[in-house]
Amino acid sequence: MSIRRYLVLTLFSVLTLITFIAAIQGYKVSMSRAEKQFDQQLLDIAHTLLAVQATALQTANPTNIDNTNKPHQVANVPQQGSFAFQVWKNDKLVIKSNNSPDHLIVSSVLFENQLSYFSEVNFLEKRWRVLSIFNETIAQATPTIRVIVAQPFQTQFSLAQDLILAAVTPMIIAIAILSFLIYIIITHGLKPLRQLTTELGVRNANDFSSLNLQANNTELSDIIITLNQLFSRLDSAFQRERHFAEDAAHELKTPLSVVKINVHNITQDLSERLSSENKLVTSREILRFDSIKELASSVDRMGHVIDQILNLNRTNTAQIEHSSTRFNLNSLLQQVIADLYSDIMKKEQTIVLESDEIDLFAHEFSVHLLAVNLISNANKYTPIGGKIKVTVKLIDEDKGHAKVVLSVEDSGVGIDPQEYKRIFDRFYRVGGDQHNSTALGCGLGLTIVKHIADMHEAKIELSTSTLLQGLKVDVYFKDIQEDKERGDD
Amino acid sequence: MRILLVEDDIPLAKALQRSLQVEGFVVNHVNRGKLALNALSTPDQDMIILDLGLPDMDGLEVLKQLRNQKSSLPVIILTARDSIDSKVKGLDYGADDYLVKPFEIQELMARLRVIERRLGTANSSLICVGNVKLDTFAHKVLVGEGNIDNEIEIHFSKKEFMVLKALMENAGRILSREQIESKLYHWGEEVLSNAVEVHIHKLRKSLPDKFIQNVRGVGYIINNAN
Repeated sequence: MSIRRYLVLTLFSVLTLITFIAAIQGYKVSMSRAEKQFDQQLLDIAHTLLAVQATALQTANPTNIDNTNKPHQVANVPQQGSFAFQVWKNDKLVIKSNNSPDHLIVSSVLFENQLSYFSEVNFLEKRWRVLSIFNETIAQATPTIRVIVAQPFQTQFSLAQDLILAAVTPMIIAIAILSFLIYIIITHGLKPLRQLTTELGVRNANDFSSLNLQANNTELSDIIITLNQLFSRLDSAFQRERHFAEDAAHELKTPLSVVKINVHNITQDLSERLSSENKLVTSREILRFDSIKELASSVDRMGHVIDQILNLNRTNTAQIEHSSTRFNLNSLLQQVIADLYSDIMKKEQTIVLESDEIDLFAHEFSVHLLAVNLISNANKYTPIGGKIKVTVKLIDEDKGHAKVVLSVEDSGVGIDPQEYKRIFDRFYRVGGDQHNSTALGCGLGLTIVKHIADMHEAKIELSTSTLLQGLKVDVYFKDIQEDKERGDD
Repeated sequence: MRILLVEDDIPLAKALQRSLQVEGFVVNHVNRGKLALNALSTPDQDMIILDLGLPDMDGLEVLKQLRNQKSSLPVIILTARDSIDSKVKGLDYGADDYLVKPFEIQELMARLRVIERRLGTANSSLICVGNVKLDTFAHKVLVGEGNIDNEIEIHFSKKEFMVLKALMENAGRILSREQIESKLYHWGEEVLSNAVEVHIHKLRKSLPDKFIQNVRGVGYIINNAN
């Protein structure tokens, strides 16, 4: 999950949650406040009615008071508002609003001892908040006046809800606006980080140049500085290592060339002397002539070992620049065989290359080295007059995963399958010290092959050639498609 | 032929100078790039053997400056740098050949002789492989039969002659079909896909058995040993 998404989502959720809790709290408080307010209203109305009724009683003629037998007349007050009320005098309904029933709204038992009493009652298919109050009966003569005022809950609620909604709506809009702002601010704030990611993403694996990024915040500029330091250190380390390999190659190969040329010169001198002073040649000198041959082959061997050790060093993943290219495998193999042909000719072997025009996306020098090692191994361990066959095939193993198979097989003695695992070890040679010493080798060839194959995530398979009865080496290269190639490049 | 040897390693230069002299070349040796450029300002040299790792400047730079002066002097690079990259670079800069140390002296001699014949400075314009003689100057091919005195001249077409010349000059080295084609045709010239095969087929008819050998999938070769 990206930091940006994490921040935006988290902040949005937290903001929503807290606002929601606050809204609920506000709702609760507002409701109770509103209830109190409404109750106060009921109380006020009730007291007013009570006071009016009591005053009416006092001012009335006392004779009228006794006139209880007269048919009772109920004043019916039309009500526009939501209130309903009843005024009872000595259990007789005196005044009522037209929206209240004729019977007593509340049961009389409940409010026996209280002057004022709130309750909730159902009548007329509504739920009401009801207040009933009495006048204080100081004297026995004064009749008991009871005022009951009611207001439907629905009205109360809808009013309170309207109020609360009006208060909460801006908050909801605020959340939306805030979320949007948070998204923009975070996106903007993380922009340098995203730039850094893109910059690092498009970078080649072997590119150690410093990052060209301006960061205004301290955190990121520290990272960039550290990265740049790391890059430059890595760069110089790789450079040193590469230079070392190059210098070593130069320093080792030049004196070797000197020895080689001088061997040639001595041979030339000697043969000249042999021909001109034919009779003066002693057996000792002929022996020395043989030792010169030994010398020459030793120099060759040494040159080979130096080459192989340097090659092994070069095939270390760290040393390989990830500079893979697409090249024609067929012409590369033609080149390799042409280079090695003098050795093949010396042993009078026949070599055959069967290859389609296949392009391989890989590190060209490494694949060249791999082919050289495989083919020269085949040359070395195949007897005089033997056969070597090099094949390149494109196979479609599973859907969409084509592989390029490079096979080298020979008519040599092959290798015991029990040895298959060990032959990739450094300096390991089949048969150990009893190894056929006429073959120029140091036991690094297949190690190099393995290194290169590993580097390309290629698979090596060893088997006995069904065609030539010798060793068959198959190297399965992945056939990397164009689009991926651009990413790697 | 006069060769300018540019090599900073004195023992190597001395040994090489000696071998080349034995083969009949005149060798001038310098150990610095600047000195090489000085020596090249006078037309005393026929060709250059150039080391790349010189102490004062890179050998490639010497080559570049030489080519900038429109000089077509043949250059053989002799170096310890064996990567494909530096080889391609060397040839791109206009080197005629590229040999990696430690090299076979015979290999160097063979390549020198190819250049020598091309320049026309060789004592003879004859290339001899086995009992086949090719006269690069007179455009003649002579095949000896049995004894040396009994030579028959064989007539080939111009293209066939060029194929044979390319193969004989590079005796011991395989030439791929593409390499032979590149010697026969100019850029953009239409080449029949089997043109080389046709030429080789005709050449084989008139030349000794197995003189031109085919390495299946790779190319054609004329063996030195013939």
